[in-house]
Amino acid sequence: MIRAILVFALALAPALTLRAADWPQFRGPNATGVSADKNLPTEWSKDKGQKWKAPLPARGVSSPVVVGDRVYVTCASGVRGDRLHVLCFDAETGKQLWHRQLQATGSPACHPKGGMAANTPVADETGVYAMFGTGDMAAFDKDGTLRWYRSLVTDYPTITNAVGMAASPVLVAGKLIVPMDNAGESFLAAVDTKYGKNIWKTERPREINWTTPIVRQVGSTTELLFAGPKGLTAYDAATGTDRWTFKAGGGSVPIGVIDGDSIYLPVGGVTKFKIDDKGIAEKSEWAAKDMATGYPSPVVYGGRVFTVSSQGLMVCTEAKTGKQLYKERLKGTYSASPVAGDGKVYFLNELAVCTVLSAKADEYEPLATNDLGEGSLGTPAIAHGRVYIRTDKALYAVGK
Amino acid sequence: MHFWNCIPLVALGAALALTPVQAADEDTTRALTALKAVTKEGKGNEDAGPAWKTLVSKGGAAIIPALEAFDDDNATAANWLRTAVDAIAENEIAAGRKLPADKLEAFVKDTKRAATARRAAYEILVAQDADAKGRLLPGFLNDKSADLRRDAITNQLDILEKLARPTIKADLEKLFTFTRDKDQVELVAKKIEGNGGNVSVSEQLGFVTFAALVGPFDNTEGKGFAVAYPPEAATNISATFKGKGGAELKWANAVPTEKSAAFDLNTLLTKHKDAVAYARAVVVAEKEMPGEVRVTCATAVQIFLNGKKLFQREEYHHGTPFDGHTGRGVLLKGENVIVLKVCQNNQTEQWAQAWQFQMRVCDSTGGPLPLEQKITMKDKTQTHKLGFLSPEAEKKEEKK
Repeated sequence: MIRAILVFALALAPALTLRAADWPQFRGPNATGVSADKNLPTEWSKDKGQKWKAPLPARGVSSPVVVGDRVYVTCASGVRGDRLHVLCFDAETGKQLWHRQLQATGSPACHPKGGMAANTPVADETGVYAMFGTGDMAAFDKDGTLRWYRSLVTDYPTITNAVGMAASPVLVAGKLIVPMDNAGESFLAAVDTKYGKNIWKTERPREINWTTPIVRQVGSTTELLFAGPKGLTAYDAATGTDRWTFKAGGGSVPIGVIDGDSIYLPVGGVTKFKIDDKGIAEKSEWAAKDMATGYPSPVVYGGRVFTVSSQGLMVCTEAKTGKQLYKERLKGTYSASPVAGDGKVYFLNELAVCTVLSAKADEYEPLATNDLGEGSLGTPAIAHGRVYIRTDKALYAVGK
Repeated sequence: MHFWNCIPLVALGAALALTPVQAADEDTTRALTALKAVTKEGKGNEDAGPAWKTLVSKGGAAIIPALEAFDDDNATAANWLRTAVDAIAENEIAAGRKLPADKLEAFVKDTKRAATARRAAYEILVAQDADAKGRLLPGFLNDKSADLRRDAITNQLDILEKLARPTIKADLEKLFTFTRDKDQVELVAKKIEGNGGNVSVSEQLGFVTFAALVGPFDNTEGKGFAVAYPPEAATNISATFKGKGGAELKWANAVPTEKSAAFDLNTLLTKHKDAVAYARAVVVAEKEMPGEVRVTCATAVQIFLNGKKLFQREEYHHGTPFDGHTGRGVLLKGENVIVLKVCQNNQTEQWAQAWQFQMRVCDSTGGPLPLEQKITMKDKTQTHKLGFLSPEAEKKEEKK
């Protein structure tokens, strides 16, 4: 009995450090892209509807993350893109609380659209863990104290990805999970959050990949579902050992979503599979080929699946049946993943034009189209009843 | 005062400014020792964390000792120190205290200090003294710090164009000698051309514009990358080799296929997949000197200098960053043989057909070295300045 209580308590431990309103990592709580927040904004513009706006020193493809009263953002600057920035803002006022810089130790080579601030940081109540496309990684306390720093390219010199790296780290029970698929020494690793030292490091195929691991609980085991070009593998978060691989679940940019006993994977458009303790069922529940993804990941919300392709084709499908409800060509191109909350779904294009849809409508009826007038590639964050949007120039807290 | 005359004066000022800085207290010294002791995989992080706090707690008094502790050869420690400098500066400004401007300025001017530290000091100084920029930048035209030099060249170009003196062509030609970043080299060259002058971008960048080539050797499944085929030694330029499929191969002289000194192997050796080619170039140095062999190439490469491997990277078709591969070595007095191994894989995508390279030899700033290039054409051997382009080569069009 005591053992059962302990197992239950341990399973709950990661969740206890975060509030419901937090958006601690890439695509928010467990990378779902969904917030439980209410009273989220519908309309805004450059000049209205914002709680605050704070300038950023440079652009970045990463998302802001929000934990408690702090918002953290990363940027990369300089003609070589080798100046790395971590900034912390007061979530209520937008006041910049601190700004730290690192000099890149790995190659800043990348596709012109990307940059070295492409990996979204992950935060908890103690601070933030920032990772960059150069393999530089640092943990800061919430007051800006550097807790530890690692240069992964110094540690593992063959790490290389001239397209640029962008997979985001996640936190699991006191471990920082570091995805490092690249053309050189590739691995998934867990490092301790206190000193940044390896707890385990599991070899991965030498292939470039930009996906972020999804975390799920299976009994007393926490699994990391990590997709790569050759399939989706589940790793034991405690040891790094691989438990199973689902070969049809391969991917390299967008990531899937677990919703109850189902997983929606961005393969063949979007395909729904049953998932249980042993893994993913071979036979799919349905496949929606029209749900092209590209860079953005799907979001499952209110019994529906929403996708937008890199070219702006938005599709809404019933989650249960796969029946397409509607599709629409949105203006612009898309890198950011859609996010959802308070009955709304937000689609932010690369010019920071955000189309807001009602999640309940049975046809395409935009509630609003909001234009911030600046380039923006990062997925928005939802917290404190606000949508936090980072553009190339500024961080916006949209809402009240 | 003439612009160029001020450079030695600034240098003299720097020398005079090298007054001893205040000795760090014992706590600071211990903290700096701990921060400089961090090594791979987080070793030393346990001590570095408390040391960072100690250093930052010392406030403005610790900023110069922290900057002095930077070492460009220990990037991990430099990043611990960089964030401490940020924190100290931030705390001092928040407390309404000024940082020691005179000491910061002396530090910035001290070219023996680490480039990253000088840049950090420069930015702190400029943030609290708007005049510092105009005062300091003219002295950085020939700086070892790439960022300071870049800003100095931008600043000087702006001044020269605003003044538009009769001597502008000569002024621009002088400025051209300081350029290092490719975009600035090309920009200033274009300005000179616009003023009736002519300079060689190829010579400024130190491109290899003559090479002997041999290939293809087998690279099926990428295995050829690890095979030391006989041309790697490149001792006998008259030797014959068994190539891929048993073909008899010999070194053949080649000149670039583009004005930018790119050697397109698909053109020069005909198109091959799963292949390895070697390029051999001879540069002549008047005396022993450190040098860098920088290569721009979309596929896997290895760089050898006088039989010693300086660099290797096994990555295919993820981009072609300029100077993406750098081998550092020592050029000997007399002839130096550079061998470049260029591999190709079997990807079939249209964008994965490139099999070419661009190679240059330069100093650590990317600037030209006093090197000649040995050129053998039609059994005649000549030496020309490294980067020399024949009149025919000058007319070649760039690939779009």
